[in-house]
Amino acid sequence: MNPIFRLVNRNLTISLNMGFVIWQVIFPVIYIFVAGFAYTALIHNVPFGSKSLNYPAFIASGMIGFNIMNSTLISGIIIWNDRRHGMFEQILVGPFTRAQYILSNVYTIGIIGLVSAGLITAIGYPIFFTSVQFSILTIPLVVFASMTGAILFGSIASIISTRLKSSEGFNVVINTVFLFFAFVSTAFYPAQGAPPILATAFYLNPLTYLVDVVRAGIFGNFTGTVGYEMVVLTVLAVVFFVIATKLLSKLEL
Amino acid sequence: MLCIEAKSIFRSYGNVTAVDGIDLSVESGKIFGFLGPNGAGKTTTMKLLTTLIPPSSGSITILGIDASRHPLDVRKKIGVVLQQPSYEPTLTVEKSLEKYGMMWDVDAKTRRKRVEELLTAFDLQDIRKKKNDDISIGQRRRVQVAREFMHDMDLLFLDEPTAGLDPSARRGLLDYIKGKVRDGLTIFFTTHILEEAEYLCDEIAIINRGKIIAVDTPDELKNKFGREKTIKIRIGKVEQDLSSILQEVGDYDILHDEGTVITIHSADSEQVLVKILQVLQSNNITIEDLSVVPTSLEEIFLTVVKNSNESNISSGK
Ligand SMILES: Nc1ncnc2c1ncn2[C@@H]1O[C@H](COP(=O)(O)OP(=O)(O)OP(=O)(O)O)[C@@H](O)[C@H]1O
Ligand SMILES: [Mg+2]
Repeated sequence: MNPIFRLVNRNLTISLNMGFVIWQVIFPVIYIFVAGFAYTALIHNVPFGSKSLNYPAFIASGMIGFNIMNSTLISGIIIWNDRRHGMFEQILVGPFTRAQYILSNVYTIGIIGLVSAGLITAIGYPIFFTSVQFSILTIPLVVFASMTGAILFGSIASIISTRLKSSEGFNVVINTVFLFFAFVSTAFYPAQGAPPILATAFYLNPLTYLVDVVRAGIFGNFTGTVGYEMVVLTVLAVVFFVIATKLLSKLEL
Repeated sequence: MLCIEAKSIFRSYGNVTAVDGIDLSVESGKIFGFLGPNGAGKTTTMKLLTTLIPPSSGSITILGIDASRHPLDVRKKIGVVLQQPSYEPTLTVEKSLEKYGMMWDVDAKTRRKRVEELLTAFDLQDIRKKKNDDISIGQRRRVQVAREFMHDMDLLFLDEPTAGLDPSARRGLLDYIKGKVRDGLTIFFTTHILEEAEYLCDEIAIINRGKIIAVDTPDELKNKFGREKTIKIRIGKVEQDLSSILQEVGDYDILHDEGTVITIHSADSEQVLVKILQVLQSNNITIEDLSVVPTSLEEIFLTVVKNSNESNISSGK
């Protein structure tokens, strides 16, 4: 078997446990149902391009984007734990290169991101059933969002995990950064109607772009803006991936 | 065939020279012991030889492969147990062996067989279902060492593998290693326990401050550096003042406990002994007991390191 797949196999084995499944799948689904329906009383419809979505459909699609970002935490946690428990050195003194180690993390979060996004889509499907407009672009757009999102946010998590020394520091920083991404984005609320400063801040946040691409795929609303967002996502993913790889390959042993 | 061949390798961390021009050659099928005080450069040397870090200069050939040009090819053929602990906290003991075998691309059937063998050989059967997070530090070390035997290799590096092991686990490990060497494995091994090195190693190198200060078989090291034999002579109570009687002999100590013990510690212990015996006889002093203390590797280690430190000081280093 290819060395990268052997590392992916190992990454999945050490990462998949009940706590993670709850965090990654069960919690988002509960959130979609509870928040989606609780807020429906306040937010009736969300304008989305030429159409209008009901709030549960809006939040369920946002949750897919949020979920892709969240699954990349795994990459940070793997690197962090590997360094703390000596497995980073042990792997690098084994039949693997640093590039293979890094790629295996990207593949791992890509797989986890796609699978959990798929699960949430399947479970959330009845909710956005009425607004869904599948097209030939749906799957390519969602896969594109998953892959660029996995690389972009996975690189951010990796960068944080290589820069920090204490484990409290790691958890605090990574949770703060990701919470900030999550709440200052269009994942849970629309930009329309938000105060202008906040609306601007939403568009400084890559998660907004990611969520917009997912929504464009699911609700069949591909526009020039979405195309532009895809370019921005790609550029950011490449830049952060290069930085993360540089930092990881310079990590002292 | 030479398994390890290193020529004048250097490595520094900032302005600390951890490895200061080392040459090494290790023949295949041998157990090579690498000894030295804390901070001498053992771990750094091991990291260089296993391609974990590159040398600042010098050349390293492992199993005939140029380590700086083809580090991955080297790593595919060696096993390494680092000094630093390493484990997957969430996996059980048996699962961590199994997954480690998978990472080395060992087929599933062989993996199952080896897991059972190793759990037994390393006395891990009782804790096989426990998570690495929930076992003791010595048990974790045993898992770490056992794990390395999941895959095939031609050369195994062990950096203080017995640190933290109880005496029977330690002996078990040493004997397991001996068995593997009989089957053709070559071992590069560091330890602070000198009896261990004596028990196991065909050849020993002593490193101090990044430089190798002695390399030889344990016996030869004793011949070379162990000439300062210690001889103890116990005599009965005496009236005379021993120091004045033995005045012209030199090279001895006198210890008074129940009787009197004269200890000779000298490079020519035999000659000193003859002189002392003559003096004792002419003064009619009876000898109750006479014993020669064999030189241990530990004494040689202490002597060699001390000499090396002194010569460093005198040469202004
Ligand atoms: N990562 C590092 N950064 C800076 N200096 C280091 C590093 N690792 C080792 N050193 C220094 O290099 C020298 C050799 O260290 P090394 O770990 O090789 O010693 P050692 O012989 O293995 O000691 P021990 O018996 O304690 O394991 C020491 O002076 C140490 O302080
Ligand atoms: Mg060491």
